[in-house]
Amino acid sequence: MKKYVQTMQYWEEITTNTNNYIIVITGLGGQGLIRFLRILGSSLVKKGYKVITSEKHGLSQRGGNVTCFLRFGEKMVAPIPIIGSADMIIATEKACILDVLEYAKLDRSSKLIVATYEKKSQINDYPSEEYLLKVLNEISDYINFIPVMEIVAKFTNLKIINTIILGYILRFLPISEEFINESINQHFAGDLLVLNQKAFEEGRDLK
Amino acid sequence: MRMEYLKILKGKSGGELFLLGNAAIARGALESGINVYTYYPGTPSSEVGEIFTILFKEAGLNWVESSVNEKIAIEVAGAAYARGAKAMVGMKNVGLNVASDAFFALATTHPKNKNSAIVVLVADDPQQYSSAVEMDSRYYLKLLKIPALEPSNPQECLDYTKSAFEISRELKIPVILRLVTMVAHARSNVKLGEIIQPEIDESFDLSPEVNVASRLYFLDLKQDQIYNRMNRALIISENSSLNRVEFENESNNFNLGIITSGVSYSYVIEALEFFNIKAPILKLGFINPLPERRIVAFLKQFKKVFVVEENDAYIETEVLAIAQKNCVQTKILGKDPFSYSKESSLLNFVGELNPTEIALALMKITNLTPKINLNQIKDKRYETVRRRPVLCPGCPYGTIGYALKKAVKKLKSDLGKEIYFYQDIGCYTLLSFPPYSFANVKYCMGSSIALAQGVAHTDDSLNIAIIGDGTFFHSGIPALLNGIHNKAPILVLILDNGWIGMTGQQHHPGSDPRYYQEGSFKKQIDLGKFLQGTGANISIIKHQKRIEGKYSDRLSDLIYEKGHSVLEKRDIHVIVIEDECTQKYIQRNTLEVRYIDGGQCTNCGICYTQFYCPALNEKDDRAQINSNECLGCGICEEICPNNAILGGDNNEY
Repeated sequence: MKKYVQTMQYWEEITTNTNNYIIVITGLGGQGLIRFLRILGSSLVKKGYKVITSEKHGLSQRGGNVTCFLRFGEKMVAPIPIIGSADMIIATEKACILDVLEYAKLDRSSKLIVATYEKKSQINDYPSEEYLLKVLNEISDYINFIPVMEIVAKFTNLKIINTIILGYILRFLPISEEFINESINQHFAGDLLVLNQKAFEEGRDLK
Repeated sequence: MRMEYLKILKGKSGGELFLLGNAAIARGALESGINVYTYYPGTPSSEVGEIFTILFKEAGLNWVESSVNEKIAIEVAGAAYARGAKAMVGMKNVGLNVASDAFFALATTHPKNKNSAIVVLVADDPQQYSSAVEMDSRYYLKLLKIPALEPSNPQECLDYTKSAFEISRELKIPVILRLVTMVAHARSNVKLGEIIQPEIDESFDLSPEVNVASRLYFLDLKQDQIYNRMNRALIISENSSLNRVEFENESNNFNLGIITSGVSYSYVIEALEFFNIKAPILKLGFINPLPERRIVAFLKQFKKVFVVEENDAYIETEVLAIAQKNCVQTKILGKDPFSYSKESSLLNFVGELNPTEIALALMKITNLTPKINLNQIKDKRYETVRRRPVLCPGCPYGTIGYALKKAVKKLKSDLGKEIYFYQDIGCYTLLSFPPYSFANVKYCMGSSIALAQGVAHTDDSLNIAIIGDGTFFHSGIPALLNGIHNKAPILVLILDNGWIGMTGQQHHPGSDPRYYQEGSFKKQIDLGKFLQGTGANISIIKHQKRIEGKYSDRLSDLIYEKGHSVLEKRDIHVIVIEDECTQKYIQRNTLEVRYIDGGQCTNCGICYTQFYCPALNEKDDRAQINSNECLGCGICEEICPNNAILGGDNNEY
């Protein structure tokens, strides 16, 4: 766990020198990507960053692919980044990562965060594990597969993948847990709040 | 959502919120003292209407409505404007086509009241993520001859909304606030100003001389519109800080300047930083009338000026004309709009713009080699999974598709004739794709019923129009009346799910007033009674389990029978299929999730190939129901020939 902890100094450098930190998030409609953007975005705003998020989706609320961007730093920037520039790429469904690899940096330094959830129903040409590993290894030195399905099974709920990932990436972000907790509290209520708090903690505590 | 929307009203002046572009527009309107908001939902503009629907009473507005269509919305708001209200109308780009007839009259009217102001929000959808066509609304500005502003981010959404209200109030002319998806649906830090309590003129003047569209008055009023009000708008545009030169003192080795507006501005900055080029940028916030004097002054400073905009070459064409008129020799680069040539166009007319495309264009202009090889990245191809959008689990339209498919198969073999399908705009458009493929012709909102007539009158095939209830109320009614009157031999299926499902279950006149917030002061229109009043042949089928026989079979039999009778009688028949949108239904009811009895399932495949539900698939040589996705509509249980699908049989759905 310790090797992931980055100092605030590192973050100040990154977000002032390069203008912004770029996160690309991809997944399927209905996985709560927009909520993910709202929770993480509002946490970073509270921390004093300029944040912009955007979404590319059409009928994706009905199962199509969604691609979102979250960028933060010292100044306001465009809602879409240039290709080859993402610092972090997150996929809440495994094969979705293949949709957005054009945003990965050519120097192999983009962090890839891939949920192990596979939505294969009605799909005949789902990419093989070997293919995916081969491609990702060509792209980046930082590949993190997040074993979300074990946690999903524990809570028998598929809709918490976004929150597990949020817990997991906390270790890479210049923001303390309290800020995100506060946002989670504002975005959920009742049973859903408890569920998402637990999912967040599970993600946070992953090795 | 209610809590989130209340923040827009409660946020304190000077404070900062993390707001959606559309939410910032709502706040900007509140800071302008808005009295009236009318709209028709359409992505990416719908949220503004939803926000005002929630905030209506608390914010003290005089009136908020989700109108039957955009034309009605602009008429309701337009007359309120004539009477002295600050009004705003919201719609998506294609909605402007529907509203345009009324808009031409509104644009010329010249109310005298002190408070009168009207802002029309038009949200374009480049890349047509959620539209039937890609349409750049900006040429309407030339047709309508009215001012327009275009923000580039959520903060500007708030600021420009306020400017738009001020300009409209001062000039007494409608002002368009033009958005695109990447602004309407971007979310970022927004600094708030003071909210003004809505005030409406107590005494007002509805003089016909300034409000009645007629030859008597309008020729004079149009003179006034163009030579007085638009002339004053031009003066504002020339002097406004909404049009500004950024990085004025920067320069580059290419003697290059850039003209842009809206979201393209932020992409330009991104692309310039990528090449580490410094260049002055004329950012146009006022996109009509364009500030001729300032454009000329800007052009004269450079050998080349690159005009960057999304979709049409609206600004570029104007800049070319302005340069010619003022004998400016600067080379103007962009889409070369008169050539219709992809080779000579630096940016595409089609699709959403992004910083990468601008960087590639800058590469051609400057011959610079970028620090990373963009083409190398772009040329890489991966085996991506193509996912078609699908209906929600438990969607009534899945059942209708299944029943229609069965009926059509039988009809085809009986009749030996072709059967064609005409689609409309709504979730049921997804029935255009396999395994259903019910689409031969489709245009725009409300067109399916008339499209079917066009073929039916010239052919002996069976022609079936498919339209939802929301779209039927929006613009399907005149087409149906046309079909009834002309005895068009077509079968019309009205898919009545009770709501405007696709854009987020907003209500329409037929929606049950018990189940939406402002329903307590609305009257429901009974679709069945309305149709019976037309004298057409009508059948109404409801999804009720307690009636004898399976629902999907009854539906299929009904379509089969009426398909026959349409061709026999050579007359129209309308079937209304009442089955509520699952997303709305599950908000009030708990349903029982289904499961497969492994012992009974023979893996015949009917449930996961002929019927389509995202919760159903094949696994380990039998059907499988994903309990995380199943909402419990129970149709799969009904269609399984082996009784292998189990679950609750005591629910009433």
